[in-house]
Amino acid sequence: MRFVFRRLGFFVVTLWAAVTLNFLIPRLMPGNAAIAMMARYKGRLNPQALHALEIAFGVNAHQSFFHAYLTYLGNIARGHFGTSLTFFPDTVAHQVLQALPWTLALVGVTTVMAFVLGTFIGLVSAWRRGTALDGALPPLFVITSAFPYFWLALLAIWLFSIKLGWFPPSGGYDVTTTVGWNWTFVSDALNHSVLPAATILVTAIGGWILTMRNNTITVLTEDYVRMARAKGLKPWRIMWTYAGRNAILPNLVGFAMSLGFVVGGAILVEFVFNYPGVGWMFLQSVENQDYALMQALFLLITVAVLLAILAADVATAFLDPRTRERG
Amino acid sequence: MSLPSVADSVQPAGATVGSGPPEEATRRTAGGDVFRAVAHNRKALAGVGLLLGFVVLALIPGQIAPDDPRAKIYTPGLGPSWHHLFGTTAYGEDVFSQLVWGTRQSLLIAVLVGGLATVIGVVVGVSAGYLGGTTDGILSLITDVILVIPIFPLIIVIAAYERNSGFFTLVIVLGLLGWSYGARQLRSQTLSLRTRDFLEAARVRGERKSYVIVKEILPTMTSLIVASFLGAAVYAVLFAAGLQFIGLGDPNSQSWGTMLYWAENNEALGAGMTYWAIMPGVFVALLGAAFALLNYAFDEISSPALRLRKLETTGVDAEQETAVPIRPPDEKNILEVRDLSVAYASDHGPVVAVDRVSFELGRGEFLGIVGESACGKSTLVYAIARLLGAPLAGEITGGQVFFKGRDMVTLADKELRHIRWRDYSVVMQSAMNALNPVLTVADQMRDACEAHSTMSKREIEQRSKEVLRLVSIDPVHLHSYPHQLSGGMRQRAMIAMALLFTPELIVMDEPTSALDVVGQRSLMVQIKELQERLGFAVIFVTHDMSLVRHFSDRLLVMYAAQVAELGLTRQVFAKPLHPYTTGLLEAFPSIHGPKEHLLGIPGQPPDLLRLPPGCRFAPRCPHVADRCRVERPALYRVNGELVRCFLHEQAEEPVAVSTEGVA
Repeated sequence: MRFVFRRLGFFVVTLWAAVTLNFLIPRLMPGNAAIAMMARYKGRLNPQALHALEIAFGVNAHQSFFHAYLTYLGNIARGHFGTSLTFFPDTVAHQVLQALPWTLALVGVTTVMAFVLGTFIGLVSAWRRGTALDGALPPLFVITSAFPYFWLALLAIWLFSIKLGWFPPSGGYDVTTTVGWNWTFVSDALNHSVLPAATILVTAIGGWILTMRNNTITVLTEDYVRMARAKGLKPWRIMWTYAGRNAILPNLVGFAMSLGFVVGGAILVEFVFNYPGVGWMFLQSVENQDYALMQALFLLITVAVLLAILAADVATAFLDPRTRERG
Repeated sequence: MSLPSVADSVQPAGATVGSGPPEEATRRTAGGDVFRAVAHNRKALAGVGLLLGFVVLALIPGQIAPDDPRAKIYTPGLGPSWHHLFGTTAYGEDVFSQLVWGTRQSLLIAVLVGGLATVIGVVVGVSAGYLGGTTDGILSLITDVILVIPIFPLIIVIAAYERNSGFFTLVIVLGLLGWSYGARQLRSQTLSLRTRDFLEAARVRGERKSYVIVKEILPTMTSLIVASFLGAAVYAVLFAAGLQFIGLGDPNSQSWGTMLYWAENNEALGAGMTYWAIMPGVFVALLGAAFALLNYAFDEISSPALRLRKLETTGVDAEQETAVPIRPPDEKNILEVRDLSVAYASDHGPVVAVDRVSFELGRGEFLGIVGESACGKSTLVYAIARLLGAPLAGEITGGQVFFKGRDMVTLADKELRHIRWRDYSVVMQSAMNALNPVLTVADQMRDACEAHSTMSKREIEQRSKEVLRLVSIDPVHLHSYPHQLSGGMRQRAMIAMALLFTPELIVMDEPTSALDVVGQRSLMVQIKELQERLGFAVIFVTHDMSLVRHFSDRLLVMYAAQVAELGLTRQVFAKPLHPYTTGLLEAFPSIHGPKEHLLGIPGQPPDLLRLPPGCRFAPRCPHVADRCRVERPALYRVNGELVRCFLHEQAEEPVAVSTEGVA
């Protein structure tokens, strides 16, 4: 139980840190961006929009710094993120909920796919160490993982949309189709997701291949792998339940830990493809200085990463009896 | 009481990856060897080459670029030509010149952010690991929080308030957020170092903490620190380019990211100015790849397990003489080992870890193999069991191993698989390591049963409980995970596993060395009882001679990869022939006998790469003669025993072993 509590404590601290950063960053900037921004908007926006900004920044001329912070925390806790400037008078929460499914479908699925595929390739290439497969794949993906996501996205658009015309260059779906659960729309949405998905996959997979390969090589020197060979088990059984099962454990931790990086890249991919997800909306809000929306999205991304880490924790507990005991 | 050996195996230095790099090996890597290693690693060479190219571009852009990068003097949107290698921009600037001038900023960001992040990471990680306690708790929490907060969105948030942020803001923000990954790894490395001998020694000497950290800890972590620098550098290059690309950098700066920003704003790809949009990305990718390749190569250089060595067999067999026609093995022997040689590759050439060892093992016989650490005894038995390979690197380079009449050396993997565990099984030194931590004991018994029989689930369960009872473990523990059992129980469970098919031979590699003296004794008694009851033969490896005194029928003493002495245990203990055996016996006190002064053996076993020209034991031998230093003794037969020592050359029987000559 102690382990579970410590983990929960960690999640709470991380969330608190993200919220506090949201509150602090505008204040720490030279000249206090928040106050300056409020002054700029005064008289140009209606009282409702001004109030929205006040919530977003936790700025209130009559409140002390500490009081403002508490008010801000209270609002966030109750889910009051304020009103979006871009989509005024729609609330931030509503806007975010519209973008979320797109990102979950694109980034969520591709990240998991990259992890699963990368882990598998890493395992096999370590198992078949020194073969052509092992000589080719890991170094190749070491190089692709150093590619900037957005640039690869540009390249994909140029090659597969502009030159070859295989896939649409931008957007999440054809605006002329009706949004809903019909085949035309779903196939169209899938068609639009191929290029962004492939971009994320190619850049994200390298890290998993490499860490899994190195983990497996280390695990293969363990006595229990030799014991499995001594027992005369079939090679695939040794690879999966002896090498793989043990090598994936640190990889799961790595998955949780580097998710923050992956999400950053995915935001840029959405931006390049004008994909109607959270990342694109995030950059739009930056562009439009829609700070309420921006802050809410930043929190949302943090929560998403934390949820994914939680999932990785559960998977680890499931795969490793030793952590189960601690929990 | 026992010789200083825990992990007894002949293996290349530094091959113990799981337990962290051995300090000696790591320290050496920190020195001049790095350059040699880099020069021999193709990935490292490619990385260094790319990086040097960028450094040149960054240092003297004016000499390389044909134009001023900001000079809007050409026709906009030109294609590539001899004068404009990558065409011109929509503003009439030369793309190639912009690329060259942009190198400086990317490289500077990489180096500065890498440096800043590494310094913070080292300070936080090492302090957390070394100081421990509350400091560690707080620092680790901060590290983890910064690690999981999505950094790039956070940087965007900051940049959104601080628009067109300058170069130094960028460096500081990236540096302040990019250190956590390295810090985490440095912390765990420090933790694993804390209990090491050389740190204990420094503490005992009363060194100050800062001294210990700087002089003792940091040098051993060179590779991790370099990896952390390279990782942060890659991340800095990518994130800085990303920020500039989305327009959150200084739009007037000379950088690849800014070039991409302007190219995207002018829809360069659609408008045919392909190189404008593509080349900056290629440069970012190449710089990133240079760092990534170096990182990858450095990983390989610093942890030898990741490097694959090929054994050069030429030269290994030089001492082996022409093959003798193979004589069929004797029916009454379960095992006949003839002239078995094993070599493994090292950085300094092939090492012969087992040198023409021969012995026979009768059915139901108990043979003890003894010797100091690194004398090749573990390598020998794992070669016999055909279990060489990581972590006990090595290949059989000659000889035969007849097991039940068949030569194991020439058996294909598939044929081997059928006789493994059914006909012979293996018990290893530490069950903690030899049992799969994520499977229950029942699982690990079941997969062996499923591999070799058609037993039903119930039969397997029954048989598993039966063998547990044989080693006096309550069958309720069958469904336990290894970590839930005590040390002694784990060791017994492993022996139980080895008994599943009641094989005719069980190879035991120091199965008791993980236990205390009392546990050792009782386990030995149990093994002996089981052996007498079930009738299997045993090869028992140990460095503790007193352990096998009352249990083994015969004793094989190994020294520096060779047989030093082989004879009946009784006879060897009563009248050891080889001076080395005498030394070993004197190194162990007798429990029952009178108090004796322990003499031990001065010096260390020889480095197998630099063997003495004569007798291998000569440098440590109390009876050494001039001849021993230049001439190699053969194995001589004395009263039915074999001994490799000139003292016994005048024995009544002639030289026994066929293929060995006196050099």
